[in-house]
Amino acid sequence: MNQPLAGFAPAPVTARMENHGNHMAKIAMQTGNDLFARVGSMVAYEGFVQYEPNPPAVRQIAKDWMTGEGAPLMKCTGDGLLYLADYGANVVVINLNGDGISVNATNLLAFDAHLTWGVERVKGLAKFAGQGLWNTKISGQGWVALTSRGKPIVVDCGGGEDETYVDPDALVAWSPNLKVKGKRSFKAQSLIGRGSGEAYQMAFSGQGIVVVQPSEDSTDRLRVRG
Amino acid sequence: MAREFQRGHKARISDLTTGTDLYVGVQIAAPGLTFDISCFGLDADERLSDDRYFVFFNQPKSPEESIQLLGAQAGDTESFRITLDKIPPQIHKLSFTATIDGDGQMSQVNPGYIRIVAGGEEVARYAFSGSEFSTERAVMLGDFYLKDVWRFAAVGQGFDGGLEALLRNFGGEVAEEETPAAAPQAQAGAAPGFAPPAFGAPAGAPAPAPQPPAPAPAPAPAPAAQGFAPPPGATPPPPSPAPSVHAQPTIVAPMTPPGGAPPPPAPAPAPYGQPNQQPYGQPSAPPPPGYGYPQAPPAQQAPQAPAPPPGYGQPTPPPGYGQQPPYGQVPAQQAPYGAPQGAPQGVPQGAPQGPGVAAALQQFKETPTGQRWTQQNKKLVRVDLGVGGHPVLARQGSMVLYQGKVDFSYKGAGFAGRIVGNATGQEMQLMRCTGQGQVFLAENSTMLHPIELQGDGICVSAENVLAFDESLQYEVRRIEGHGIPGGALFTMQFTGTGTIVVKTHGTPVVLPVTPTTFADANAVVAWSSAAQVIVSSQVRMRRNAYPGDTGESVNLQFRAAPGNFIVVQPYEI
Repeated sequence: MNQPLAGFAPAPVTARMENHGNHMAKIAMQTGNDLFARVGSMVAYEGFVQYEPNPPAVRQIAKDWMTGEGAPLMKCTGDGLLYLADYGANVVVINLNGDGISVNATNLLAFDAHLTWGVERVKGLAKFAGQGLWNTKISGQGWVALTSRGKPIVVDCGGGEDETYVDPDALVAWSPNLKVKGKRSFKAQSLIGRGSGEAYQMAFSGQGIVVVQPSEDSTDRLRVRG
Repeated sequence: MAREFQRGHKARISDLTTGTDLYVGVQIAAPGLTFDISCFGLDADERLSDDRYFVFFNQPKSPEESIQLLGAQAGDTESFRITLDKIPPQIHKLSFTATIDGDGQMSQVNPGYIRIVAGGEEVARYAFSGSEFSTERAVMLGDFYLKDVWRFAAVGQGFDGGLEALLRNFGGEVAEEETPAAAPQAQAGAAPGFAPPAFGAPAGAPAPAPQPPAPAPAPAPAPAAQGFAPPPGATPPPPSPAPSVHAQPTIVAPMTPPGGAPPPPAPAPAPYGQPNQQPYGQPSAPPPPGYGYPQAPPAQQAPQAPAPPPGYGQPTPPPGYGQQPPYGQVPAQQAPYGAPQGAPQGVPQGAPQGPGVAAALQQFKETPTGQRWTQQNKKLVRVDLGVGGHPVLARQGSMVLYQGKVDFSYKGAGFAGRIVGNATGQEMQLMRCTGQGQVFLAENSTMLHPIELQGDGICVSAENVLAFDESLQYEVRRIEGHGIPGGALFTMQFTGTGTIVVKTHGTPVVLPVTPTTFADANAVVAWSSAAQVIVSSQVRMRRNAYPGDTGESVNLQFRAAPGNFIVVQPYEI
């Protein structure tokens, strides 16, 4: 009876974080190696894992979050296997290994608690876009899981003479050493309701990468669910 | 794989093949007619300044043998060997022409082609037929021309006069009314110096010849009896038609972006200084120590005793975790760390990758090519505005990223367009992307399908259009049928030469049109416009998103010649 489903059994654990399929992250939890994950992203777990929503440590760091209802992160502790997903979004796991990455709020799924992280505002245009109010800069030795609606694309920003412009709704993550600024491509036309639909862009310059999802749906499903 | 050219298409030879020793075959035939097939080597002014580069049956090769006439073989009426490296610098263009010897007109010719074979493999083919011509007696089939690099253009331009007129067009002069009728017969003896469809290009593809090389009669080395005098610069009419062809924007051919466009990103050097650049999923360095999971999964060697990772801390791991045999996996797989161990499994298990952001994201890298339209992945398409040079119309808000200097402006439908749009529901909210640079387009993670139109047409529902070249024409087309509540269904018909990107929800099915091909009017996305659509209505209680509908659904039946297709998505909108 289980035959058709047998193929979906988990593979043996080989790393702290792995993909199970394209849309699920599998995390090997251990005592003393805690994890921050988006509230509501847990879909299954095995073993003894405890969850603490809105932990004091997060509140401290994330005092900038103007969300009004506390941090959207929970602290997961314990031993076992934890499965995380975000409404069918593609999951990308990254072993930082000393690198840093800046992740859009809605695209952050989980990260190791011992990583260095901070919340910062994207200057200038965050208010306009209605999203990306804050982004999380993470660096250190450890693992991060991101989500992307559809298979993402990684674009090299190149030397810096030409800027790379990204629709903020489609932005997932970027290298923290990139220079970011908002760009408003206003024209007289767009003021009378004839905009091209691409009125606000984020401009990146410098050496690094930008990760973009093939969707402009930036709804935070984990939060909307309530 | 041979690329099919249409009239006016161009491509860099280097994009077709890496070889420069090329075989060019021409097949042209008509009942009762003989053809002279020749190659004109023209200078920068498109003049035949050196008549030694008029290669025809009476002069089978150019002085340094860069252009050689080989005769009929391998199914071709006439064939040439072109060695691009050896062509002298003053020659800027090779024009391949066919002229009717005697009476007759080009409309009589059977379907024929001009093709390029490199390394035994056909790399390009431009097919033509008599229906494209009328009373012409000559036709310029295709050109090799030098614009930075050698390029090939499918010309297919008829010419009213015969060989003489063609010569005069190129600045030559017919000294005497000769053109002996015994052209094919003049070729005799001596096998050609190389086996055309199999001669080695540097690429060295050991591909078999597409057709068995027929014993090829080589042209007799005619003793330089040129039938025309060197051009004294007098009397030549200006050769207008050919340059206009080359001035057209190219769709199919990737061309060098005009100056100022950012070059396509080089794939090799990743400048963020990652030591490990292994492709995702390759065996790579173990994760940083300290996590306590095993370096190599011992569970795979001891299937019955699954060894949880040290530090897991549970005396009895949950059954199933780490166990192989119940799922029919090959035990003792000895998979090296990170190798695809999930072969029999339905889920692609994420293999650990090398550490670092760049390594993790390696699989999502931008694909570098110089094409105008590039599919980045199933849901993302990139258009390089520098290639081809003309603007792109895209659905508003579909830009997710761009590099370079691109301007986005509102594209109005116009007054009439809005009236039509309101009445038919076939309205597109478009923006025009102009400038130099690459634009990435995507929308709501729908799957994207760039479809290249080469003079043919496609019918697409307006809401399934993501972007298209501005060179395409589009109009609302009406599908009539009895019993449709609104009176008719409407769709957008795109014609011309260019690319249109169609989006579908989910993986579509592309059905060939057979006598019994039906599709739900809600789920059908596109069909080739040569297909005739018949409405076969059935009363079905389904919602219907077409305007003016009252809840009755409509099936569409398609009728067309073989070769037409319809695209249906697994999503009824």
